[in-house]
Amino acid sequence: MRSAPNPLARTASYTFLILVCAVTVVPLLYMGALSLQTEAETLAANPVLWPESPQWGNYAELFERAPFGNFIVNSLIVAGGITLAHLVFDPLVGYVFAKFRFPLRNTLFIALLATMMIPLFVRMIPLYVMMSNLGWLDTHQALIVPFLMDAFGIFLMRQFIQPIPDDLIHAARIDGASELRIYARVILPQVKPALAVLGLFTFVHQWNEFLWPLVATSSEEMRTIPVGLALFKQEYFTLWHLTAAGSVILFVPTVLIFLFSQRYFVRGITLSGLK
Amino acid sequence: MSAPTTTATAPPGAARPVRRRRGPFAKSLNRRYVITAYLFLLPAFAFFGLMFYLPIANMVSSSFRTGAQADVYAGMDNYTRAFEDAAVRNSFTVTVIFGVATTIGAIVIGLTLALLLNQKLRGRVVFRAALLVPYLTSVAIVGLLWRNILDPQLGILNRLLSDLGLPTQTWLNTHPLATVIGVTLWMTVGYTMVLFLAGLQGIPEEYYEAATVDGAGPWQRFWRITLPLLAPTTLFVSVMAVINGLQAFGQAYIITGGGPAGRTDLYIFHVFNVAFTSRDFGYASALSFLLFLVIVIFTVVQLRVGRRGEVQY
Repeated sequence: MRSAPNPLARTASYTFLILVCAVTVVPLLYMGALSLQTEAETLAANPVLWPESPQWGNYAELFERAPFGNFIVNSLIVAGGITLAHLVFDPLVGYVFAKFRFPLRNTLFIALLATMMIPLFVRMIPLYVMMSNLGWLDTHQALIVPFLMDAFGIFLMRQFIQPIPDDLIHAARIDGASELRIYARVILPQVKPALAVLGLFTFVHQWNEFLWPLVATSSEEMRTIPVGLALFKQEYFTLWHLTAAGSVILFVPTVLIFLFSQRYFVRGITLSGLK
Repeated sequence: MSAPTTTATAPPGAARPVRRRRGPFAKSLNRRYVITAYLFLLPAFAFFGLMFYLPIANMVSSSFRTGAQADVYAGMDNYTRAFEDAAVRNSFTVTVIFGVATTIGAIVIGLTLALLLNQKLRGRVVFRAALLVPYLTSVAIVGLLWRNILDPQLGILNRLLSDLGLPTQTWLNTHPLATVIGVTLWMTVGYTMVLFLAGLQGIPEEYYEAATVDGAGPWQRFWRITLPLLAPTTLFVSVMAVINGLQAFGQAYIITGGGPAGRTDLYIFHVFNVAFTSRDFGYASALSFLLFLVIVIFTVVQLRVGRRGEVQY
Protein backbone atom coordinates (compact mmCIF):
# COMPACT_ATOMS: atom_id res chain seq x y z
CA MET A 1 0.00 0.00 0.00
CA ARG A 2 1.41 3.37 -0.97
CA SER A 3 1.09 6.50 1.07
CA ALA A 4 -0.47 9.49 -0.61
CA PRO A 5 2.38 11.90 -1.33
CA ASN A 6 0.84 15.28 -0.52
CA PRO A 7 -2.36 16.82 0.81
CA LEU A 8 -3.42 18.04 -2.62
CA ALA A 9 -3.15 14.60 -4.20
CA ARG A 10 -4.91 13.14 -1.19
CA THR A 11 -7.85 15.53 -1.53
CA ALA A 12 -8.04 14.84 -5.25
CA SER A 13 -8.07 11.09 -4.58
CA TYR A 14 -10.87 11.42 -2.04
CA THR A 15 -12.93 13.64 -4.32
CA PHE A 16 -12.60 11.32 -7.26
CA LEU A 17 -13.36 8.20 -5.21
CA ILE A 18 -16.40 9.80 -3.60
CA LEU A 19 -17.70 10.86 -7.02
CA VAL A 20 -17.29 7.37 -8.47
CA CYS A 21 -18.86 5.78 -5.39
CA ALA A 22 -21.80 8.15 -5.82
CA VAL A 23 -22.19 6.88 -9.38
CA THR A 24 -22.19 3.25 -8.22
CA VAL A 25 -24.36 3.63 -5.12
CA VAL A 26 -26.85 6.41 -5.85
CA PRO A 27 -28.68 4.56 -8.68
CA LEU A 28 -29.28 1.66 -6.30
CA LEU A 29 -30.58 4.00 -3.59
CA TYR A 30 -32.79 5.60 -6.21
CA MET A 31 -34.15 2.12 -6.97
CA GLY A 32 -35.13 1.89 -3.29
CA ALA A 33 -36.80 5.31 -3.43
CA LEU A 34 -38.62 4.38 -6.63
CA SER A 35 -40.02 1.26 -4.97
CA LEU A 36 -41.75 3.48 -2.39
CA GLN A 37 -43.26 6.02 -4.78
CA THR A 38 -46.83 6.12 -5.97
CA GLU A 39 -47.48 5.22 -9.60
CA ALA A 40 -48.18 8.90 -10.30
CA GLU A 41 -44.87 9.92 -8.81
CA THR A 42 -42.94 7.43 -10.96
CA LEU A 43 -44.63 8.81 -14.08
CA ALA A 44 -44.34 12.50 -13.22
CA ALA A 45 -42.87 14.63 -15.97
CA ASN A 46 -40.51 16.04 -13.38
CA PRO A 47 -39.08 12.89 -11.74
CA VAL A 48 -39.37 12.67 -7.98
CA LEU A 49 -36.35 11.74 -5.92
CA TRP A 50 -38.02 10.82 -2.68
CA PRO A 51 -41.73 9.89 -2.32
CA GLU A 52 -44.00 12.25 -0.43
CA SER A 53 -45.04 9.42 1.83
CA PRO A 54 -43.34 6.01 1.42
CA GLN A 55 -45.70 3.49 -0.14
CA TRP A 56 -44.80 0.27 1.64
CA GLY A 57 -47.97 -1.19 0.20
CA ASN A 58 -46.19 -1.40 -3.18
CA TYR A 59 -44.50 -4.55 -1.95
CA ALA A 60 -47.82 -6.16 -1.08
CA GLU A 61 -49.27 -5.08 -4.42
CA LEU A 62 -46.38 -6.75 -6.24
CA PHE A 63 -47.34 -10.09 -4.69
CA GLU A 64 -50.94 -9.59 -5.83
CA ARG A 65 -50.06 -8.73 -9.42
CA ALA A 66 -47.59 -11.56 -9.99
CA PRO A 67 -46.81 -14.86 -8.25
CA PHE A 68 -43.82 -13.22 -6.66
CA GLY A 69 -43.89 -15.69 -3.76
CA ASN A 70 -43.33 -18.45 -6.33
CA PHE A 71 -40.44 -16.53 -7.87
CA ILE A 72 -38.75 -16.28 -4.47
CA VAL A 73 -39.30 -19.96 -3.65
CA ASN A 74 -38.02 -20.99 -7.09
CA SER A 75 -34.92 -18.84 -6.75
CA LEU A 76 -34.24 -20.26 -3.29
CA ILE A 77 -34.69 -23.86 -4.47
CA VAL A 78 -32.55 -23.40 -7.58
CA ALA A 79 -29.73 -21.27 -6.14
CA GLY A 80 -29.79 -23.22 -2.85
CA GLY A 81 -29.86 -26.62 -4.57
CA ILE A 82 -27.00 -25.76 -6.90
CA THR A 83 -24.93 -24.33 -4.04
CA LEU A 84 -25.48 -27.46 -1.95
CA ALA A 85 -24.50 -29.67 -4.87
CA HIS A 86 -21.30 -27.68 -5.39
CA LEU A 87 -20.40 -27.95 -1.72
CA VAL A 88 -20.88 -31.73 -1.89
CA PHE A 89 -19.28 -32.53 -5.25
CA ASP A 90 -16.60 -29.91 -5.93
CA PRO A 91 -14.44 -30.70 -2.86
CA LEU A 92 -14.87 -34.46 -3.33
CA VAL A 93 -13.65 -34.36 -6.91
CA GLY A 94 -10.96 -31.86 -5.96
CA TYR A 95 -9.80 -34.22 -3.21
CA VAL A 96 -9.47 -37.14 -5.60
CA PHE A 97 -7.37 -35.10 -8.02
CA ALA A 98 -5.26 -33.68 -5.18
CA LYS A 99 -4.48 -36.83 -3.24
CA PHE A 100 -5.11 -39.98 -5.31
CA ARG A 101 -2.88 -41.51 -7.92
CA PHE A 102 -4.61 -43.44 -10.66
CA PRO A 103 -4.29 -44.17 -14.36
CA LEU A 104 -5.29 -41.30 -16.70
CA ARG A 105 -5.33 -38.80 -13.86
CA ASN A 106 -3.75 -35.97 -15.84
CA THR A 107 -5.80 -36.63 -18.95
CA LEU A 108 -9.01 -36.60 -16.95
CA PHE A 109 -8.01 -33.45 -15.11
CA ILE A 110 -7.33 -31.64 -18.37
CA ALA A 111 -10.63 -32.84 -19.78
CA LEU A 112 -12.27 -31.41 -16.67
CA LEU A 113 -10.49 -28.05 -16.85
CA ALA A 114 -11.36 -27.78 -20.53
CA THR A 115 -15.03 -27.43 -19.58
CA MET A 116 -14.17 -24.00 -18.11
CA MET A 117 -13.72 -22.86 -21.71
CA ILE A 118 -17.27 -23.87 -22.59
CA PRO A 119 -19.62 -20.94 -21.99
CA LEU A 120 -23.29 -21.35 -21.24
CA PHE A 121 -24.41 -20.12 -24.64
CA VAL A 122 -22.71 -23.09 -26.30
CA ARG A 123 -24.70 -25.49 -24.12
CA MET A 124 -27.93 -23.49 -24.22
CA ILE A 125 -29.59 -24.96 -27.32
CA PRO A 126 -28.52 -28.61 -26.91
CA LEU A 127 -29.44 -28.52 -23.21
CA TYR A 128 -32.83 -27.07 -24.12
CA VAL A 129 -33.40 -29.94 -26.56
CA MET A 130 -32.18 -32.46 -23.98
CA MET A 131 -34.46 -31.08 -21.25
CA SER A 132 -37.32 -31.06 -23.71
CA ASN A 133 -36.71 -34.73 -24.58
CA LEU A 134 -36.56 -35.62 -20.89
CA GLY A 135 -39.81 -33.73 -20.32
CA TRP A 136 -37.99 -31.55 -17.81
CA LEU A 137 -38.62 -28.13 -19.34
CA ASP A 138 -40.33 -25.81 -16.90
CA THR A 139 -39.26 -27.85 -13.86
CA HIS A 140 -36.77 -27.25 -11.09
CA GLN A 141 -34.60 -30.15 -12.34
CA ALA A 142 -34.04 -28.35 -15.63
CA LEU A 143 -32.75 -25.33 -13.73
CA ILE A 144 -30.55 -27.27 -11.30
CA VAL A 145 -29.13 -30.38 -13.00
CA PRO A 146 -27.01 -28.68 -15.72
CA PHE A 147 -25.11 -26.78 -12.97
CA LEU A 148 -24.49 -29.44 -10.31
CA MET A 149 -20.71 -29.16 -10.52
CA ASP A 150 -18.26 -26.64 -11.76
CA ALA A 151 -14.73 -27.17 -13.02
CA PHE A 152 -13.47 -23.98 -11.46
CA GLY A 153 -14.88 -24.95 -8.05
CA ILE A 154 -13.16 -28.33 -8.35
CA PHE A 155 -9.89 -26.68 -9.36
CA LEU A 156 -10.14 -24.28 -6.42
CA MET A 157 -10.80 -27.07 -3.93
CA ARG A 158 -7.92 -29.10 -5.33
CA GLN A 159 -5.60 -26.14 -4.79
CA PHE A 160 -6.70 -25.90 -1.16
CA ILE A 161 -6.59 -29.65 -0.46
CA GLN A 162 -3.16 -30.26 -1.97
CA PRO A 163 -1.17 -28.67 0.90
CA ILE A 164 -2.92 -30.78 3.57
CA PRO A 165 -0.19 -33.15 4.87
CA ASP A 166 -0.50 -36.70 3.57
CA ASP A 167 0.39 -37.93 7.05
CA LEU A 168 -3.02 -36.86 8.30
CA ILE A 169 -4.66 -39.09 5.70
CA HIS A 170 -2.20 -41.88 6.48
CA ALA A 171 -2.88 -41.74 10.18
CA ALA A 172 -6.64 -41.86 9.66
CA ARG A 173 -6.24 -44.80 7.31
CA ILE A 174 -4.14 -46.70 9.82
CA ASP A 175 -6.85 -46.04 12.39
CA GLY A 176 -9.16 -47.90 10.04
CA ALA A 177 -11.27 -44.96 8.87
CA SER A 178 -13.19 -45.52 5.64
CA GLU A 179 -12.28 -43.40 2.62
CA LEU A 180 -15.52 -41.45 2.77
CA ARG A 181 -14.98 -40.84 6.48
CA ILE A 182 -11.45 -39.57 5.85
CA TYR A 183 -12.86 -37.15 3.30
CA ALA A 184 -15.62 -35.94 5.62
CA ARG A 185 -13.70 -35.85 8.91
CA VAL A 186 -10.12 -35.12 7.91
CA ILE A 187 -10.20 -33.20 4.64
CA LEU A 188 -13.36 -31.10 4.76
CA PRO A 189 -12.69 -29.47 8.17
CA GLN A 190 -9.32 -28.26 6.85
CA VAL A 191 -10.83 -26.31 3.98
CA LYS A 192 -13.79 -24.61 5.66
CA PRO A 193 -12.84 -21.07 4.57
CA ALA A 194 -12.51 -22.21 0.96
CA LEU A 195 -15.91 -23.89 1.22
CA ALA A 196 -17.38 -20.64 2.50
CA VAL A 197 -15.98 -18.75 -0.49
CA LEU A 198 -17.24 -21.41 -2.89
CA GLY A 199 -20.70 -21.46 -1.33
CA LEU A 200 -21.12 -17.67 -1.27
CA PHE A 201 -20.01 -17.22 -4.83
CA THR A 202 -22.09 -20.04 -6.19
CA PHE A 203 -25.20 -18.81 -4.41
CA VAL A 204 -24.92 -15.17 -5.48
CA HIS A 205 -24.07 -16.15 -9.04
CA GLN A 206 -26.99 -18.55 -9.35
CA TRP A 207 -29.39 -16.21 -7.57
CA ASN A 208 -28.67 -13.60 -10.25
CA GLU A 209 -28.56 -15.97 -13.25
CA PHE A 210 -30.76 -14.79 -16.07
CA LEU A 211 -30.26 -16.55 -19.41
CA TRP A 212 -30.84 -20.23 -18.57
CA PRO A 213 -33.95 -19.76 -16.39
CA LEU A 214 -35.35 -17.58 -19.16
CA VAL A 215 -34.76 -20.33 -21.72
CA ALA A 216 -35.81 -23.32 -19.61
CA THR A 217 -39.03 -22.05 -18.04
CA SER A 218 -42.26 -21.19 -19.75
CA SER A 219 -44.99 -20.94 -17.11
CA GLU A 220 -45.19 -17.90 -14.89
CA GLU A 221 -45.16 -20.04 -11.73
CA MET A 222 -41.75 -21.54 -12.55
CA ARG A 223 -39.85 -18.31 -13.08
CA THR A 224 -37.01 -17.28 -10.84
CA ILE A 225 -36.90 -13.69 -9.54
CA PRO A 226 -34.68 -12.16 -12.28
CA VAL A 227 -36.73 -13.72 -15.07
CA GLY A 228 -40.04 -13.07 -13.34
CA LEU A 229 -39.06 -9.46 -12.88
CA ALA A 230 -37.95 -8.88 -16.47
CA LEU A 231 -41.13 -10.44 -17.85
CA PHE A 232 -43.27 -8.59 -15.30
CA LYS A 233 -41.80 -5.39 -16.71
CA GLN A 234 -42.76 -6.43 -20.24
CA GLU A 235 -46.31 -7.06 -19.14
CA TYR A 236 -46.82 -4.05 -16.86
CA PHE A 237 -44.40 -1.68 -18.49
CA THR A 238 -45.67 1.41 -16.74
CA LEU A 239 -45.61 0.03 -13.20
CA TRP A 240 -42.11 1.24 -12.38
CA HIS A 241 -42.75 1.38 -8.65
CA LEU A 242 -43.54 -2.35 -8.60
CA THR A 243 -40.62 -3.26 -10.85
CA ALA A 244 -38.37 -1.37 -8.48
CA ALA A 245 -39.88 -3.14 -5.47
CA GLY A 246 -39.16 -6.49 -7.13
CA SER A 247 -35.59 -5.38 -7.87
CA VAL A 248 -35.12 -4.51 -4.21
CA ILE A 249 -36.32 -7.98 -3.19
CA LEU A 250 -33.88 -9.54 -5.63
CA PHE A 251 -31.01 -7.33 -4.52
CA VAL A 252 -31.31 -7.31 -0.73
CA PRO A 253 -30.21 -10.93 -0.08
CA THR A 254 -27.04 -10.56 -2.13
CA VAL A 255 -26.14 -7.28 -0.51
CA LEU A 256 -26.69 -8.74 2.96
CA ILE A 257 -24.53 -11.75 2.13
CA PHE A 258 -21.88 -9.38 0.85
CA LEU A 259 -21.92 -7.06 3.86
CA PHE A 260 -21.63 -9.94 6.31
CA SER A 261 -18.85 -11.67 4.41
CA GLN A 262 -17.00 -8.97 2.55
CA ARG A 263 -13.64 -10.53 3.38
CA TYR A 264 -14.60 -13.91 1.93
CA PHE A 265 -16.19 -12.25 -1.03
CA VAL A 266 -13.17 -10.18 -1.97
CA ARG A 267 -11.01 -13.25 -1.46
CA GLY A 268 -13.27 -15.15 -3.82
CA ILE A 269 -12.81 -12.56 -6.56
CA THR A 270 -9.06 -12.61 -6.04
CA LEU A 271 -9.08 -16.40 -6.27
CA SER A 272 -10.90 -16.26 -9.56
CA GLY A 273 -7.62 -14.75 -10.79
CA LEU A 274 -6.05 -18.16 -10.22
CA LYS A 275 -7.57 -19.39 -13.44
CA MET B 1 -4.18 -48.22 -20.84
CA SER B 2 -1.01 -46.40 -19.98
CA ALA B 3 -0.28 -45.12 -16.50
CA PRO B 4 1.71 -41.98 -17.11
CA THR B 5 1.38 -40.63 -13.61
CA THR B 6 2.85 -43.59 -11.80
CA THR B 7 6.04 -45.56 -11.87
CA ALA B 8 4.72 -48.45 -9.82
CA THR B 9 3.34 -51.09 -12.09
CA ALA B 10 5.03 -54.04 -10.45
CA PRO B 11 2.69 -56.89 -9.49
CA PRO B 12 1.46 -56.68 -5.90
CA GLY B 13 3.84 -58.29 -3.46
CA ALA B 14 6.78 -58.30 -5.86
CA ALA B 15 9.95 -57.45 -4.03
CA ARG B 16 11.41 -54.16 -5.07
CA PRO B 17 13.65 -51.58 -3.50
CA VAL B 18 11.93 -49.23 -1.10
CA ARG B 19 11.77 -45.81 -2.64
CA ARG B 20 10.29 -42.67 -1.17
CA ARG B 21 7.64 -41.26 -3.37
CA ARG B 22 5.10 -38.52 -2.97
CA GLY B 23 1.55 -39.17 -1.92
CA PRO B 24 -0.06 -41.36 0.69
CA PHE B 25 -0.75 -44.06 -1.87
CA ALA B 26 2.66 -44.21 -3.41
CA LYS B 27 3.73 -47.48 -1.83
CA SER B 28 1.96 -49.21 -4.63
CA LEU B 29 -0.64 -48.28 -7.16
CA ASN B 30 -2.95 -50.07 -4.81
CA ARG B 31 -5.96 -51.35 -6.69
CA ARG B 32 -8.24 -50.45 -3.81
CA TYR B 33 -7.30 -46.78 -3.99
CA VAL B 34 -7.67 -46.70 -7.73
CA ILE B 35 -11.15 -48.14 -7.39
CA THR B 36 -11.97 -45.63 -4.65
CA ALA B 37 -10.73 -42.78 -6.82
CA TYR B 38 -12.83 -43.84 -9.79
CA LEU B 39 -15.86 -44.41 -7.58
CA PHE B 40 -15.53 -40.91 -6.15
CA LEU B 41 -15.16 -39.56 -9.68
CA LEU B 42 -18.11 -41.43 -11.09
CA PRO B 43 -20.67 -38.63 -10.54
CA ALA B 44 -18.26 -36.15 -12.11
CA PHE B 45 -17.72 -38.36 -15.19
CA ALA B 46 -21.46 -38.65 -15.62
CA PHE B 47 -22.08 -34.97 -15.06
CA PHE B 48 -19.40 -33.46 -17.29
CA GLY B 49 -19.99 -36.07 -19.96
CA LEU B 50 -23.75 -35.55 -20.11
CA MET B 51 -23.91 -31.83 -19.40
CA PHE B 52 -20.83 -30.51 -21.25
CA TYR B 53 -19.35 -32.92 -23.77
CA LEU B 54 -22.58 -34.45 -25.04
CA PRO B 55 -24.23 -31.02 -25.58
CA ILE B 56 -21.20 -29.77 -27.51
CA ALA B 57 -21.28 -32.85 -29.72
CA ASN B 58 -25.02 -32.36 -30.23
CA MET B 59 -24.55 -28.70 -31.05
CA VAL B 60 -21.91 -29.40 -33.68
CA SER B 61 -24.06 -32.12 -35.18
CA SER B 62 -27.21 -29.98 -35.34
CA SER B 63 -25.23 -27.12 -36.85
CA PHE B 64 -25.13 -29.25 -40.01
CA ARG B 65 -28.87 -29.82 -39.94
CA THR B 66 -32.01 -27.88 -40.64
CA GLY B 67 -35.77 -28.14 -40.04
CA ALA B 68 -37.91 -27.53 -36.97
CA GLN B 69 -36.30 -30.43 -35.11
CA ALA B 70 -32.86 -29.83 -36.67
CA ASP B 71 -33.12 -33.32 -38.16
CA VAL B 72 -32.57 -32.83 -41.90
CA TYR B 73 -28.95 -32.99 -42.99
CA ALA B 74 -27.97 -29.75 -44.70
CA GLY B 75 -24.21 -29.92 -45.06
CA MET B 76 -22.51 -26.54 -44.74
CA ASP B 77 -25.70 -24.60 -45.55
CA ASN B 78 -26.02 -23.03 -42.11
CA TYR B 79 -22.43 -21.85 -42.21
CA THR B 80 -22.55 -20.38 -45.71
CA ARG B 81 -25.83 -18.71 -44.76
CA ALA B 82 -24.19 -17.23 -41.65
CA PHE B 83 -21.44 -15.61 -43.69
CA GLU B 84 -23.94 -14.07 -46.12
CA ASP B 85 -26.43 -12.96 -43.48
CA ALA B 86 -26.25 -9.17 -43.12
CA ALA B 87 -28.03 -9.27 -39.75
CA VAL B 88 -25.45 -11.69 -38.40
CA ARG B 89 -22.61 -9.58 -39.70
CA ASN B 90 -24.12 -6.50 -38.06
CA SER B 91 -24.66 -8.36 -34.81
CA PHE B 92 -21.09 -9.64 -34.86
CA THR B 93 -19.68 -6.15 -35.43
CA VAL B 94 -21.83 -4.71 -32.64
CA THR B 95 -20.66 -7.45 -30.30
CA VAL B 96 -16.97 -7.02 -31.10
CA ILE B 97 -17.25 -3.27 -30.49
CA PHE B 98 -19.08 -4.00 -27.26
CA GLY B 99 -16.50 -6.59 -26.17
CA VAL B 100 -13.48 -4.43 -26.97
CA ALA B 101 -14.96 -1.27 -25.41
CA THR B 102 -16.04 -3.01 -22.20
CA THR B 103 -12.60 -4.62 -21.95
CA ILE B 104 -10.66 -1.39 -22.41
CA GLY B 105 -13.06 0.43 -20.07
CA ALA B 106 -12.76 -2.27 -17.42
CA ILE B 107 -8.95 -2.09 -17.54
CA VAL B 108 -8.62 1.70 -17.56
CA ILE B 109 -11.31 2.45 -14.96
CA GLY B 110 -10.59 -0.62 -12.84
CA LEU B 111 -6.87 0.11 -12.72
CA THR B 112 -7.39 3.80 -11.96
CA LEU B 113 -9.69 2.98 -9.05
CA ALA B 114 -7.31 0.30 -7.79
CA LEU B 115 -4.36 2.72 -7.87
CA LEU B 116 -6.37 5.27 -5.89
CA LEU B 117 -7.50 2.69 -3.36
CA ASN B 118 -3.98 1.34 -2.98
CA GLN B 119 -2.98 4.50 -1.08
CA LYS B 120 -3.16 4.94 2.66
CA LEU B 121 -6.61 6.47 2.77
CA ARG B 122 -9.25 6.44 5.44
CA GLY B 123 -12.32 4.36 4.69
CA ARG B 124 -10.70 2.16 2.04
CA VAL B 125 -12.94 -0.78 2.94
CA VAL B 126 -16.04 1.39 2.61
CA PHE B 127 -14.91 2.71 -0.79
CA ARG B 128 -14.12 -0.79 -1.96
CA ALA B 129 -17.53 -2.04 -0.87
CA ALA B 130 -19.33 0.89 -2.50
CA LEU B 131 -17.51 0.31 -5.78
CA LEU B 132 -18.22 -3.41 -5.70
CA VAL B 133 -21.94 -3.17 -4.94
CA PRO B 134 -23.18 -3.01 -8.56
CA TYR B 135 -21.31 -6.25 -9.25
CA LEU B 136 -23.71 -8.00 -6.85
CA THR B 137 -26.76 -7.12 -8.91
CA SER B 138 -28.40 -9.34 -11.45
CA VAL B 139 -28.34 -8.12 -15.03
CA ALA B 140 -32.13 -8.01 -14.65
CA ILE B 141 -31.82 -5.30 -12.01
CA VAL B 142 -29.14 -3.40 -13.92
CA GLY B 143 -31.20 -3.45 -17.08
CA LEU B 144 -34.49 -2.38 -15.54
CA LEU B 145 -32.98 0.25 -13.28
CA TRP B 146 -31.01 1.95 -16.05
CA ARG B 147 -33.91 1.79 -18.44
CA ASN B 148 -35.78 3.86 -15.92
CA ILE B 149 -32.92 6.25 -15.18
CA LEU B 150 -32.20 6.81 -18.87
CA ASP B 151 -35.82 7.19 -19.93
CA PRO B 152 -36.08 10.45 -21.91
CA GLN B 153 -39.47 11.38 -20.37
CA LEU B 154 -39.50 10.13 -16.81
CA GLY B 155 -35.83 9.32 -16.19
CA ILE B 156 -33.89 11.01 -13.44
CA LEU B 157 -30.70 11.45 -15.44
CA ASN B 158 -32.06 13.99 -17.89
CA ARG B 159 -33.61 15.95 -15.05
CA LEU B 160 -30.24 16.00 -13.31
CA LEU B 161 -28.55 17.20 -16.49
CA SER B 162 -31.05 19.97 -17.13
CA ASP B 163 -30.80 21.09 -13.48
CA LEU B 164 -27.07 21.39 -14.03
CA GLY B 165 -27.67 23.31 -17.25
CA LEU B 166 -26.32 20.50 -19.45
CA PRO B 167 -28.03 19.30 -22.63
CA THR B 168 -30.35 16.33 -22.18
CA GLN B 169 -30.09 13.21 -24.32
CA THR B 170 -32.33 10.46 -25.57
CA TRP B 171 -29.59 8.08 -24.59
CA LEU B 172 -30.88 4.82 -25.99
CA ASN B 173 -31.89 6.37 -29.31
CA THR B 174 -28.92 8.53 -30.15
CA HIS B 175 -26.05 6.54 -28.60
CA PRO B 176 -27.53 3.12 -27.88
CA LEU B 177 -24.38 1.03 -28.00
CA ALA B 178 -22.24 3.49 -26.04
CA THR B 179 -24.97 3.74 -23.41
CA VAL B 180 -25.23 -0.03 -23.06
CA ILE B 181 -21.43 -0.23 -22.80
CA GLY B 182 -21.51 2.40 -20.06
CA VAL B 183 -24.19 0.55 -18.12
CA THR B 184 -22.19 -2.68 -18.40
CA LEU B 185 -19.07 -0.96 -17.09
CA TRP B 186 -21.11 0.45 -14.20
CA MET B 187 -21.88 -3.14 -13.26
CA THR B 188 -18.43 -4.70 -13.72
CA VAL B 189 -15.63 -2.24 -12.88
CA GLY B 190 -15.79 -3.06 -9.17
CA TYR B 191 -14.82 -6.64 -9.95
CA THR B 192 -11.88 -5.56 -12.11
CA MET B 193 -10.84 -3.06 -9.45
CA VAL B 194 -10.60 -5.81 -6.81
CA LEU B 195 -8.47 -7.96 -9.14
CA PHE B 196 -6.11 -5.06 -9.86
CA LEU B 197 -5.94 -4.20 -6.16
CA ALA B 198 -4.79 -7.74 -5.40
CA GLY B 199 -2.22 -7.45 -8.19
CA LEU B 200 -0.93 -4.13 -6.86
CA GLN B 201 -0.58 -5.51 -3.37
CA GLY B 202 1.67 -8.22 -4.77
CA ILE B 203 4.27 -5.67 -5.95
CA PRO B 204 7.01 -5.31 -3.30
CA GLU B 205 7.28 -1.82 -1.81
CA GLU B 206 11.10 -1.96 -2.08
CA TYR B 207 10.93 -1.56 -5.85
CA TYR B 208 9.24 1.80 -5.47
CA GLU B 209 11.64 2.87 -2.75
CA ALA B 210 14.63 1.93 -4.87
CA ALA B 211 13.20 3.73 -7.88
CA THR B 212 12.50 6.84 -5.83
CA VAL B 213 16.07 6.83 -4.53
CA ASP B 214 17.24 6.59 -8.14
CA GLY B 215 15.20 9.70 -8.88
CA ALA B 216 12.24 8.22 -10.74
CA GLY B 217 9.11 10.35 -10.63
CA PRO B 218 5.60 8.97 -10.03
CA TRP B 219 4.84 8.77 -13.76
CA GLN B 220 8.05 6.87 -14.45
CA ARG B 221 7.42 4.55 -11.52
CA PHE B 222 3.98 3.76 -12.90
CA TRP B 223 5.22 2.98 -16.42
CA ARG B 224 8.40 1.18 -15.39
CA ILE B 225 7.31 -0.73 -12.28
CA THR B 226 3.57 -0.87 -11.76
CA LEU B 227 2.41 -1.58 -15.28
CA PRO B 228 4.99 -4.26 -16.20
CA LEU B 229 4.56 -6.08 -12.89
CA LEU B 230 0.79 -5.97 -13.23
CA ALA B 231 0.95 -7.61 -16.65
CA PRO B 232 -0.36 -11.02 -15.46
CA THR B 233 -3.35 -9.36 -13.78
CA THR B 234 -4.03 -7.19 -16.81
CA LEU B 235 -3.84 -10.24 -19.04
CA PHE B 236 -6.29 -12.15 -16.88
CA VAL B 237 -8.68 -9.19 -16.68
CA SER B 238 -8.60 -8.66 -20.43
CA VAL B 239 -9.17 -12.34 -21.24
CA MET B 240 -12.11 -12.51 -18.84
CA ALA B 241 -13.57 -9.21 -20.04
CA VAL B 242 -13.40 -10.22 -23.70
CA ILE B 243 -14.98 -13.61 -22.98
CA ASN B 244 -17.76 -12.03 -20.91
CA GLY B 245 -18.24 -9.13 -23.31
CA LEU B 246 -18.66 -11.34 -26.37
CA GLN B 247 -21.39 -13.35 -24.67
CA ALA B 248 -23.37 -10.52 -23.07
CA PHE B 249 -27.09 -11.10 -23.41
CA GLY B 250 -29.24 -9.52 -20.71
CA GLN B 251 -28.35 -5.94 -21.61
CA ALA B 252 -29.85 -6.32 -25.08
CA TYR B 253 -32.78 -8.43 -23.90
CA ILE B 254 -33.82 -6.06 -21.13
CA ILE B 255 -32.62 -2.58 -22.00
CA THR B 256 -32.82 -2.19 -25.77
CA GLY B 257 -34.40 -5.27 -27.31
CA GLY B 258 -31.45 -5.14 -29.72
CA GLY B 259 -32.57 -1.84 -31.20
CA PRO B 260 -32.88 0.75 -32.46
CA ALA B 261 -32.45 -0.85 -35.89
CA GLY B 262 -30.14 -3.58 -34.63
CA ARG B 263 -27.58 -1.18 -33.23
CA THR B 264 -27.36 -3.13 -29.95
CA ASP B 265 -28.16 -6.56 -31.38
CA LEU B 266 -25.63 -8.44 -29.21
CA TYR B 267 -24.65 -11.77 -30.73
CA ILE B 268 -26.10 -14.07 -28.09
CA PHE B 269 -29.31 -12.07 -28.14
CA HIS B 270 -29.41 -12.62 -31.90
CA VAL B 271 -28.76 -16.35 -31.46
CA PHE B 272 -31.43 -16.50 -28.74
CA ASN B 273 -33.98 -15.04 -31.15
CA VAL B 274 -32.98 -17.34 -33.99
CA ALA B 275 -33.32 -20.32 -31.66
CA PHE B 276 -36.35 -19.47 -29.57
CA THR B 277 -38.31 -16.98 -31.67
CA SER B 278 -37.67 -18.33 -35.18
CA ARG B 279 -37.20 -21.88 -33.81
CA ASP B 280 -34.30 -22.48 -36.18
CA PHE B 281 -32.12 -24.67 -33.95
CA GLY B 282 -29.81 -25.77 -36.74
CA TYR B 283 -28.90 -22.25 -37.78
CA ALA B 284 -28.68 -21.07 -34.17
CA SER B 285 -26.29 -23.95 -33.40
CA ALA B 286 -24.04 -22.97 -36.29
CA LEU B 287 -24.06 -19.34 -35.11
CA SER B 288 -23.19 -20.38 -31.53
CA PHE B 289 -20.39 -22.58 -32.74
CA LEU B 290 -18.91 -19.73 -34.79
CA LEU B 291 -18.85 -17.42 -31.78
CA PHE B 292 -17.35 -20.20 -29.69
CA LEU B 293 -14.52 -20.54 -32.24
CA VAL B 294 -13.98 -16.78 -32.20
CA ILE B 295 -13.76 -16.78 -28.40
CA VAL B 296 -11.30 -19.68 -28.37
CA ILE B 297 -9.10 -18.00 -30.99
CA PHE B 298 -9.29 -14.64 -29.20
CA THR B 299 -8.30 -16.26 -25.92
CA VAL B 300 -5.38 -18.20 -27.38
CA VAL B 301 -4.03 -15.13 -29.18
CA GLN B 302 -4.42 -12.96 -26.08
CA LEU B 303 -2.60 -15.49 -23.93
CA ARG B 304 0.19 -15.89 -26.51
CA VAL B 305 0.73 -12.16 -26.95
CA GLY B 306 0.23 -11.44 -23.26
CA ARG B 307 2.68 -14.06 -22.02
CA ARG B 308 5.33 -12.72 -24.35
CA GLY B 309 4.92 -9.30 -22.77
CA GLU B 310 5.46 -10.52 -19.22
CA VAL B 311 8.56 -9.41 -17.36
CA GLN B 312 10.41 -10.51 -14.26
CA TYR B 313 12.49 -8.24 -12.09
